[in-house]
Amino acid sequence: MIAYSRYSFVGHWQKITLLLLLMVSVCWFFADTEVIALDPWSELGRMWQGFVHPDFFATEYLLDALWQTISFALFGITIGLLLGFPLALWYQHPLVAAMCAFIRAIHEIFWALIFLQIFGLSAITGILAIALPYAATFARVFADILQQAPMHTLFSLPKGTDKLSAFIYGRWMHMYPQIVDYIRYRFECALRSSAVLGFIGMPTLGFYLESAFRQGHYQQGGALLILFVLLIGSIRFWAKPIMLWLYLPLAVYFLPPIPVIDSQLIWRFISVDVLPPMLQGQPFLSWFDTDKLAQLVNWSYTLISQQVFPGMVATLVLAFCALGLTHVLTLVLLPFNTRLMMPKVVILIMRAVNLILRSLPEYLLAFVFMMLLGPSMLPAIIALALHNSGLMVFLMSRQADSVSVPLTYRPRIDQYSYLVLPAIYPHFMGLLFYRFEVIIRETAILGMLGVMTLGFYVDSNFSEIRFSGALLLLVFTAGLNVVVDYLARRLLHYPRNRLQAC
Amino acid sequence: MLSLVDVDLGYNQQIILPKVNLSFKANEHVAILGPSGVGKTTLLHHLYQQLAEQTCLCSQAQGLVDNLSMYHNVFIGGLARYSRWYNLANLLLPFNKPQQQIAAICQQLELTVPLQQKVSELSGGQRQRVALARALFQQQSVFMGDEPFSALDPLMGLRLLNLIKQTHQSVICVLHDAELALANFDRIIVISDGKVVLDDKAGQLSLAHLSQHYALADSPKHAVA
Repeated sequence: MIAYSRYSFVGHWQKITLLLLLMVSVCWFFADTEVIALDPWSELGRMWQGFVHPDFFATEYLLDALWQTISFALFGITIGLLLGFPLALWYQHPLVAAMCAFIRAIHEIFWALIFLQIFGLSAITGILAIALPYAATFARVFADILQQAPMHTLFSLPKGTDKLSAFIYGRWMHMYPQIVDYIRYRFECALRSSAVLGFIGMPTLGFYLESAFRQGHYQQGGALLILFVLLIGSIRFWAKPIMLWLYLPLAVYFLPPIPVIDSQLIWRFISVDVLPPMLQGQPFLSWFDTDKLAQLVNWSYTLISQQVFPGMVATLVLAFCALGLTHVLTLVLLPFNTRLMMPKVVILIMRAVNLILRSLPEYLLAFVFMMLLGPSMLPAIIALALHNSGLMVFLMSRQADSVSVPLTYRPRIDQYSYLVLPAIYPHFMGLLFYRFEVIIRETAILGMLGVMTLGFYVDSNFSEIRFSGALLLLVFTAGLNVVVDYLARRLLHYPRNRLQAC
Repeated sequence: MLSLVDVDLGYNQQIILPKVNLSFKANEHVAILGPSGVGKTTLLHHLYQQLAEQTCLCSQAQGLVDNLSMYHNVFIGGLARYSRWYNLANLLLPFNKPQQQIAAICQQLELTVPLQQKVSELSGGQRQRVALARALFQQQSVFMGDEPFSALDPLMGLRLLNLIKQTHQSVICVLHDAELALANFDRIIVISDGKVVLDDKAGQLSLAHLSQHYALADSPKHAVA
């Protein structure tokens, strides 16, 4: 008889899970998670009152803000698609893939901050800030989806079929529903992005939300939040593909007047502002003088050692803690969200909870938790984890519901753990690690709340009008994302189905 | 029509059938038999690649596109005959002429569901016949099939085989039904243990001959599929 060690039953995914939890506990040890009780109850009470008695008429330009939020998202998605489709066909080219990875790695809000310098507070800034990173994401996801198309149709196509017909009939039509699903899902993300752009001054919902919360006008803020959640929750009723033919012309018609683009301003931005201070206004050839070069090295060294490095460490620590918490939260919440465990009523209620969790911008969640727990990394961790687990549960419950179980199945936690969880766990882990890349990107927004991630340093550089520093930081931010994505892809075999980017 | 001389067959650099020597004549009806996983499909796909210009392949994977209607799935067989713009326009709004041709083919194949039905809603036997219809719509002279009748009842399988034989000069099929093969094909090739173990005229063979080379199910006709 062969004696098995009990440990030989620890499988691939258990090992990866253990490794993840180990990493998380190490990061948790270094994370600043001190709770500073500030007696937040009176403030929270007022906040609660605001939600119970929302005032829908307090915001002067409410409808305007709603419409702007939708129209930025619409334009962003449309332009993103126009750019993303052709890029997806060229995605095999390493240069295209690298360029897309770089563009994608920079958060919408940073793109907006860059375009803000060039176009000012114009609609172009908001639309481009969404369109650009979304195009890069579309390119990658469409390329991935199209790759999944079964090869056997192409193999048995009649000899001499032209390339376009072969592509459309043999590949595209196989994956068409997934692509449409993904676009719809991305539209939800775009609405959120569009709202978040309000935090830096675009005239979308986020702008009014932030000012309402900052000034303590919670009745107004509550009303705006409720509207926003309803807007996202009802997408499938009002965003039918056929309606786009109505919305798009309307969006064009109602676009706020675009101020004249000052080409001198753009030229100044790319030829002077983005240069490190010691090179600004200097003739090109003098850049390579030894003293200039020494100054440049000095400048970058200071920036890297004082901002890039600590920012990167904080970003990773925050992201890992959030990832660990997301893992736990999702595993706990998932059984409450699948028909294989819960009756319909519970699922309906949980759907609403999920919707709220994933619609609320992390920024606001973190803002609320910061009042509760004081300024540390903890509010950011909780906000990121709540938002992401809301999304993960939403995606995974669909997966769990489609698991086919034997007729003898009873909705009990043991049967669930034997028959359902193992079937979906690999996909779950793949999704989770994909979210890691997203979480790192999202730490950007939390940086603007004062958590000292890379986003914090980027934001402060922008507000101190040090564009060169901001750009250097952005390059490192993007680099970090690309590296993390690459490593995760190498370590794990991602599920090919990546309907989860956001 | 085609001769293989000392050809090594396999995939991913793994050779399954080393040094195959076979030749195929036009106007021949050949059945390839043998136990599962022995390389029959590999051989068939190799033959297809050699003769792709004049051959339609009805592979076991069928290659149906679930999101398309039955009509469009059959039309895929005709992609090479039309221009790309015609094909694209036909995807949006089917043209009349191919619609009539395809309706006729489907009638021959006893497919009575409406042409606009999505293939994802069809049964296993219906899907197999859609794959056959696509092969017929290619209008080639050689038919190659990988167990093309496996999901059909034996009588219907026989009717469709005769239809295929009428509409194609040469037929090469991988089959698991040895009786069907002996009764309706000119030539039988048996592959087992990584080589061609038998290649003879069907008229000179019996089930007993075949069972010397690989284990036949006792009564394949009555076995529960």
